[in-house]
Amino acid sequence: MLKVIALSARYGSVQVLRRVTFHVSESEIVALIGANGAGKSTLLRAISGIHRPFEGEIHFVNTPIHTMSPERIVQMGLVHVPEARQLFPNLTVLENLELGGYVHGRKHVLAALDEMFELFPILAERRRQKAGTLSGGEQQMLSIGRALMARPRLLILDEPSLGLAPLIVDEIYERIQALHRNGTPILLVEQNALGALAIADRAYVLETGRVILSGNAGDLMDHDDVQRAYLGKDYRYKWER
Amino acid sequence: MFREPTWEKTIDTNGKGREKAMSRTNVEFLPRDAVHQLQMERLQMTLNRAYFNVDFYRQRMDNLKILPEDVALLNDFRAFPFTTRQDLADHYPYGLFAEPLKSIVRLKISTPGLGDRGKPVVIGFTRHDVAMWQDLMVRLFQQLGITDRDIVQVAFNFSLFPGAFTFNHAAELIGATLAPSATISATMQLQIMQDFRSTVLATSSAFALHMVETMERLGFTGAELNLRLVMLGPDPLWEETRERLENGFRVPVYGLYGVAEMVEPGIAGECSAKDGLHLAEDQFLVEIVHPVTGEPVPRGQEGELVLTTLTAEAYPLLRYRTGDITVLKESPCSCGRSLARITPVLRRTDNRVSIRGISLYPENVEEFLTSLDPDLQDIRLVITTSYGIGEHLEILLARDPARPFPEGNRSQYLDSMRSHVRRALGFGTKVQLVDFERLPKEGLIYKTVFRTLPPLSSPE
Repeated sequence: MLKVIALSARYGSVQVLRRVTFHVSESEIVALIGANGAGKSTLLRAISGIHRPFEGEIHFVNTPIHTMSPERIVQMGLVHVPEARQLFPNLTVLENLELGGYVHGRKHVLAALDEMFELFPILAERRRQKAGTLSGGEQQMLSIGRALMARPRLLILDEPSLGLAPLIVDEIYERIQALHRNGTPILLVEQNALGALAIADRAYVLETGRVILSGNAGDLMDHDDVQRAYLGKDYRYKWER
Repeated sequence: MFREPTWEKTIDTNGKGREKAMSRTNVEFLPRDAVHQLQMERLQMTLNRAYFNVDFYRQRMDNLKILPEDVALLNDFRAFPFTTRQDLADHYPYGLFAEPLKSIVRLKISTPGLGDRGKPVVIGFTRHDVAMWQDLMVRLFQQLGITDRDIVQVAFNFSLFPGAFTFNHAAELIGATLAPSATISATMQLQIMQDFRSTVLATSSAFALHMVETMERLGFTGAELNLRLVMLGPDPLWEETRERLENGFRVPVYGLYGVAEMVEPGIAGECSAKDGLHLAEDQFLVEIVHPVTGEPVPRGQEGELVLTTLTAEAYPLLRYRTGDITVLKESPCSCGRSLARITPVLRRTDNRVSIRGISLYPENVEEFLTSLDPDLQDIRLVITTSYGIGEHLEILLARDPARPFPEGNRSQYLDSMRSHVRRALGFGTKVQLVDFERLPKEGLIYKTVFRTLPPLSSPE
C-alpha cells in the first residue's frame, strides 16, 4: 500500500534521514519507533509532502507521490494526524471536523459527521465547544476524527500518546485498534515503544535517520536492542564484544 | 501486500510467549517485486548494524569511503568488498560478532577437516537467529509436504555435522514424530525404519547409498518400508545418486543446501518439482559472480554463489563468497513458489574435497604431513568415489630415499603416520609409501586423484 524506498531528507546541511526503506501493507498496523531526533517526524512530513526528500521514492497505492503537493496526497487518501494535535483552537469541534473533510465536498462532510460522532461520542457532546478548551485526550480524539473526515485509505499517526495520561493513552490505542479492525491500515509513529509494539503487527526501529531493526512487533518487544534503547535496561558495554 | 513471514507466537495462560512453528510460508509465494522490497528493507538494516556494530566492516567501509546509505538499490551493493572465509578465520573468535555475548545463545564452530591445522571459524546465534534457522528448516520440511503425521528418522553423525540437530528441531516443531538414530549401523537403521514405520529419512548421500546397498545385501527392497521420501544434506545431490537411491528406496529423494559459515542446511531446498533448490531469499541476498573477476555473470550462467545475510543479528555476513559454483534460476517453478532456485553445487572454487561428508583441503593435509616428516617430496590424496561421492581416502607419500626414517623402520614409520592422520582427520585412512616417479598425476584438484568405484562393490 505504502512503499518508501531509500528515502533521504535534510534540513539545510543536516541530513536527517539516511536511505530509509519500509512499507505498510493493507490491513496492518505498522509502528515506527525511535528516540528523540531519530527522524520519525521528518519521515512523516516527507510522506505527506510537507518536506521534500532529496533522494528516494515514495509510492502510495502504486503511484509515486514524492513530487505531489500535500493536498493531492490527502485527496488520494493518505492522511496524517500531526504531532501535538495541531487543531484550530479558536474553532469549534464541529468546524474542526468539517475542515478535515472539506477536500471531498459538503455532501461527504454531512454524511461523515454522523459516523464520527458515533465513533467518538464525546465529540458529539462537545460539538459547539472551542477546540482549545478540550482536554488533551479529547483533543487527540478530535485530531484523529478530523483526519478520518478525509476518508483515509492509510492513516498516519504521529505520537498520539504524547502528553496524555496512561488511562487516556489506553483509550486512544483502543480507538486506533478499532479503526484498524474496520479496515484502515495504520502507520503509527511513537516514542512510547512498548505501547506502540503492543498494538502493532510489525515495526521498524529508527536510529539517527537509519532503520536499524525491523520485524514482528512481538519479537521486537523482546529484542535486547529495543529493551536497551527504550526501556533503559541493560546498558551495553564496549568490552562485551 | 504481505506480512512479515515469521513464526507465529502463541500466548499461553501465564502470558509467556512461546514460539510455535507455524511458518507463515506465504513469503514463498510473494510476487518478485515484494521480495525485492523485503530484501531492500532488510539489507539497509544489515548494513547499518554491520557498520555500527562490527569494527571489521566499519573499517572496510571507511577505507573505501562508503557508507551504508550509499546503497539505494540492490545493484549499488556491488560496490562493497567480498568477505571470504579467510576474513572470518582472521577475526577468530569474536571479531565479527555484531552482538554482545550476552545476547548470543548459541555458538557454532566450523572447522575445515584436519582439526587445528585449518583455522576454525566461530559463528554466533542470537535467539532470533536460532528461531530463524529453525523456521527455515520448517519451511524446507513443509515444502516437501512433511506434516505432523510423519515419522522422521534423522540419521547423521551429529558430531561431524552440527546442522543435524536442526532436523530434529524442525521435525519437533512441525509436530512430526522424531526417530533419532544418530550413529548406528546401516543394518540397525533399516531395522528401526521397519519397526518404527519411519516415513521420512534425513541423512547424507553417502550414508543413504550405504543403506541401499545394505538393503540389497539383506535381500529386501524399499517397497517393504513405509518411507515416503528421503531428504539429503549437506553434500550436493547428484542426479546419478538420486537415480540410484530412488531405485533403491522407491521413493522420491530431495537435496538441501546450506553454508557452514551461516546455516547448514536451511538456505535452500528442493520442492517436489525437483527442478533446483528454492533459496530463502527473505533471509539471504543472492549473487552469482565470476569466481576469478568477481563480476556478476549473465543470467543463467554458472558462477560462484555469494550470499549476504539479511536478518542474522549475531554474525552478519556481507557478500560472503561461499566457494560453491552453481546456476541461478529465476524462471517460475511449477510448484508455484516464486523464490529463485539454484542448481545443486556443481563444484568448488577452491580445493575442498569431501569424504563421506567430511570436508578437507589437500593443502592442509600436505602441510600437516610435511610438518611430521620434513623429508617428504610429494604426496597424493587418492579419493575413491561412488556415485560422485567421496567414499574412501588413501594417502600416497613419496619421500627422499636417501634420508633415514624419522623413527624406526619403514613399517613403524607408516604406522606412526597412519595414527597421526587418523587423529587429525577423525577417520582412518590407508597410508602408503611409493616412489616419487610412481605417484599418479594430479587431477584438477591440488595433489588429488579421484578413482571411481564400480557400483555394488563397496568393501563394507
